[in-house]
Amino acid sequence: MDLLIDSLVSAFFLVVSMDPEMLAIVGVSLKVSFGSTLIAALIGIPAGFAVSFKEFSGKRIVVTVLNTLLALPTVVIGLMVYAFISRRGILGIFDLLYTQKAIIIGQVILIVPVVTVFTLAAISRIDERYRKTAATLGANRLQTAWVVFREARFGIMAAVIAAYGRVISEVGISMMLGGNIKGFTRTMTTAMALEYDKGAFTLAVALGMILLGFSFGMNLLFHYFQGRTRI
Amino acid sequence: MILYRLSDIQKVYLRRSVLDIASLEIEAGKVYALLGPNGAGKTTLLNILAFLDAPSCGDVSFRSQTVRYTEAALQELRKKVVMVDQHPIMFTTSVYKNVEFGLKIRGVPKIERERMVEESLDRVGMRSFISAPAHRLSGGETQRVALARALALSPEVFLCDEPTSGIDAENREVVVDVLRQINREKQISLIFTTHDRAQASALTSRILVLEGGRLTATAYENVFTGVIEKHDDALHRFRIRNGLSIEVPKNEIEKQAGSSKIYLDPAGLKMTPFIKGRQPANTIKATVISTAVENDYVRVVVDAGVSLTALLPAAEYREKRIIAGDTVQLIAPPESIHLI
Repeated sequence: MDLLIDSLVSAFFLVVSMDPEMLAIVGVSLKVSFGSTLIAALIGIPAGFAVSFKEFSGKRIVVTVLNTLLALPTVVIGLMVYAFISRRGILGIFDLLYTQKAIIIGQVILIVPVVTVFTLAAISRIDERYRKTAATLGANRLQTAWVVFREARFGIMAAVIAAYGRVISEVGISMMLGGNIKGFTRTMTTAMALEYDKGAFTLAVALGMILLGFSFGMNLLFHYFQGRTRI
Repeated sequence: MILYRLSDIQKVYLRRSVLDIASLEIEAGKVYALLGPNGAGKTTLLNILAFLDAPSCGDVSFRSQTVRYTEAALQELRKKVVMVDQHPIMFTTSVYKNVEFGLKIRGVPKIERERMVEESLDRVGMRSFISAPAHRLSGGETQRVALARALALSPEVFLCDEPTSGIDAENREVVVDVLRQINREKQISLIFTTHDRAQASALTSRILVLEGGRLTATAYENVFTGVIEKHDDALHRFRIRNGLSIEVPKNEIEKQAGSSKIYLDPAGLKMTPFIKGRQPANTIKATVISTAVENDYVRVVVDAGVSLTALLPAAEYREKRIIAGDTVQLIAPPESIHLI
């Protein structure tokens, strides 16, 4: 019990004192997570729209596969991407392994299904009459899609926030593809794992507190946007 | 000028034909009412006329041009035709932005847009709601803004699906007035669906009746289900479910032996004040519920256990001095009785 209380107190002072090492780790985490969420949103939102708008054979299978990919373990993604970007992999010449880009690639693979499936769900909740109204008022397909996007905007925003929450707290991909290099690829979660291994809890607990703070903030945003969809 | 020409149109959903029209022509600048019960195919036909849906087979031409069902061609056509839904939906933004939407798409300059939005909202009496959130309006207000949103585009054809269903009397009055005005002042062709025969008659004399997806000659009133009872070779009676019984002419029995529906032509029914004594065949005692003027006729609705309508020439109506509440006798001559 003493260990926990001591760690919590020390961690609290670490956070308040804005420790440079801790800030560097938080900075890397935010940068990498933000990058991967942005790219995944650019892929996942149009993909969600395409699956929702287009009628094609095998649509159900695509949706089932996307749903299955939601449960893809981070270590599997880590292994898969490693096979491609390691020196012996076909993308080895780009020297991506143990870089922030490698983490971003892995995280994008992790959350594209999240953004796509949540976007799909957000669009399917939108009343069919919006499309019909836009069409009868003279909108083309793109303009109709924009109308639907506007109506589903809070749901789509919630999808992006959920994806961000997923990547900022993941550890497998960051560890396997980033290598946990101090000041370069060390993220909050990998740093916590390392500090735990070393038996040094102060920084780990401090990072945990920050991570929890972020998760809480993300969830607040998520529920705010989800609530707005019920207007 | 012929606006729409439909030939051999069919719409099939889940292997069931929901619309089957051999031939239909709709003239430009006129008002048409599509009358029929639920599931008669009214909305399906309206969607086809609005170029929002394609028929499963058959040809549609608009202003003598055969409609090609490609996205580009349909989008061009949709700029001439606007449909207002039975339950219109507002984009979750202001009333102004809702009405402005179609104008923006058409590339109308901003200043012009502002003027047109204000004008259309004025027309439906909703100008004071211009900045209000459109999705929070009441049903009647939504219907009026939806009309303004469509009106702002000055379409060639205005299609309305049940424009007054589910809205209060005050809003209904405004909507009917607006519909009447846009046809008279702007010569916009108007096609609307309704259940309400009186409303259809109030707006137009061109009434198309749909039943089971087909255009029918009946007037969507005085149609009853029941069974034919054979009394002897010469006498067949049609018993309507609530007990009212009509003697059916022999020629109708020969034509439609297995029928379960009877139609009493409103224009063929005779009406006189009630007189006690021996009555001719097919005399029905009834109470007048309402009367409405319809061009040179008066539509008299009576309660005879079922609601029956008779269409009397105005002069005859005046002469007989029939008013609501009177007990009358309705006589159905053989030529007014049809099995369908």
